[in-house]
Amino acid sequence: MALLEVNDLRTHFFTREGVVQAVDGVSFSLERGKTLGIVGESGCGKSVTALSIMGLIPRPPARIVSGSVVFEGRDLTTLREHDLEDVRGNEIAMIFQDPMTCLNPTLRIGTQITETIRRHKGVSKAEARKRAVELLDEVQIPNAAGRLDDYPHRYSGGMRQRVMIAMALSCNPKLLIADEPTTALDVTVQAQVLDLLEQLRQEYGMAMIIITHDMGVVAEAADDIVVMYAGQVVEQASVLELFDHPEHPYTEALLGALPQIEGEGIREGRLTAIPGRPPDLIRPPTACRFGPRCPYADDEDRCTKENPELRELRPGHLVRSAHPTSERSRADTRMAVP
Amino acid sequence: MVVNPREEQLRTEAIVDEERPFDPDTASGQPLRQTNLWSDAWRRYIRNRGALVAGAILVFVILYCLIWPFISPYDPNGVDFSLKNQTPSLRHPLGTDAFGRDLLTRTALGGRISIGIGFAATIVILLIGIAYGAIAGFVGGRVDNGLMRFLDALYGLPYLPFAIITLAILGNASFWTMVIALSVASWFTTARIVRGQIITLKENDYVRAAKAVGARWYRVLGRHLLPNTLGVLIIAIFLELPGVILGEAFLSFIGLGISPPDSSWGQMAEEGRRVYRVVPHVIVIPSIAIATLVLTANFVADGLRDALDPRTRET
Repeated sequence: MALLEVNDLRTHFFTREGVVQAVDGVSFSLERGKTLGIVGESGCGKSVTALSIMGLIPRPPARIVSGSVVFEGRDLTTLREHDLEDVRGNEIAMIFQDPMTCLNPTLRIGTQITETIRRHKGVSKAEARKRAVELLDEVQIPNAAGRLDDYPHRYSGGMRQRVMIAMALSCNPKLLIADEPTTALDVTVQAQVLDLLEQLRQEYGMAMIIITHDMGVVAEAADDIVVMYAGQVVEQASVLELFDHPEHPYTEALLGALPQIEGEGIREGRLTAIPGRPPDLIRPPTACRFGPRCPYADDEDRCTKENPELRELRPGHLVRSAHPTSERSRADTRMAVP
Repeated sequence: MVVNPREEQLRTEAIVDEERPFDPDTASGQPLRQTNLWSDAWRRYIRNRGALVAGAILVFVILYCLIWPFISPYDPNGVDFSLKNQTPSLRHPLGTDAFGRDLLTRTALGGRISIGIGFAATIVILLIGIAYGAIAGFVGGRVDNGLMRFLDALYGLPYLPFAIITLAILGNASFWTMVIALSVASWFTTARIVRGQIITLKENDYVRAAKAVGARWYRVLGRHLLPNTLGVLIIAIFLELPGVILGEAFLSFIGLGISPPDSSWGQMAEEGRRVYRVVPHVIVIPSIAIATLVLTANFVADGLRDALDPRTRET
């Protein structure tokens, strides 16, 4: 049995302007100890998916309309808040995007870490403190014991993200959700944090969901990748398969927007951009959601009338497009590449 | 060239730090100089002259009220008609009242009640206001809407008539009935302030992060939200205090508050009112005491606001 199974998850925001279908029928599963990457541009529902798993979506206005999040046989969407609080931090932990704002400025670093440990493990203050020092050591904060009593403003962005990682690891969770863990950090620090995260993930034997819009990040860290667009999964495959044979025009475009510095078939010249922006999710197109930006879209029914189903093109490789790369004719391809 | 004193101070501190010998133990990123919110706030507070002087006077008045009755050679209730209505002299620095009681001692005793009621009522106001505002802000949605519309309705009630009615219902005017009467219609503003703060604070990422590690709601509220409103609450104390003390003085002055033989400044002023044509100091002294307290509390509130709110830092 998979550790986490998300089935047809739909999270909608009920706003004055209308219903925003932020997550609209997302399904994926994650095995123990594996890493899943969720990629897509801003506003595609990546973060809302993560928050829905944690039960942390802002209610109101948001609500999980349908679908299930089965974690170790339990459906988290039907769990009472009180029971969900026992799962959060203990079995599923989460790291957020901006470490600068995720620590309470009025509480000492040590207090914030020990609180989490004491909340779930019910150990004594001294024991929790000892564990907190170990954790800070593990995330490579120099002079861990001495810095435990500092307030967050004495920590740099990279150090705060390390503290967030330490807090997330403090109760040996089975699943770690990292929501753009490196977006707010300097490029040099990004690599360190990612390496640390991967190293600790292996040590603790956790499964991980890493959310990012940086294809480079998932290429290194993930086993499987889910590509999201406009609240839906548009492509899903193992990392090698996806990078070697991207099928969805959107995935292709994302990879095309990535600078490549070595390897076979290296592209030269300017990086390609995807024209336009994601559709309004209050009134998403009834046809293919990527259609208006798709270089291969044609006037036939399959592109302008109906949203293509997610279909298994090859074993383990799902795609939602009428024009996957492998089914495209030469004429299409010539048309698309300028 | 205009030299900013703050900048100069920082520069001097920086030089001192640079001159410390290199020590590999502290070079690993350990901070060289510890400073915290309160010492920082204190530094800013004492730079505000008015607030500093006002604070000193306030502390002096409170200490005088607390300590003087113990040292005073006179019995505050010792009636001696041979000494009645004396003007200030060396033996009685503030003179005596219509019963020949020493006013320096009486004023201290009256101050105990006035200031005591003031602080007690302020604390009650804060407790009700915090509870009401925190629940409204934290729960949000319909609960918030309902609670705040109810508060809007209460806001229309005039404060003093409400206090008078409460006193009439409770019967006799003792210390605690005065506290209740004065706080029952004056916690509205505090509730609004706290609600506003909680609503702003609960959008913070660290609140979501706390929920993400499984913190219970009372933990989120008590540990992550309320402590962050502390600065605003301290200011609220010194903003509420003068109003409450004035209210007490007014009620006692019109004869609805503290009644003899207990005294408060308002009640002393009322006694002075009967004889002010002959000996004006009997009404002037408690009036000055009330005015001093109200004025200094306002100055202190002002100074605290500048000291505790980083956004109003002048430099």
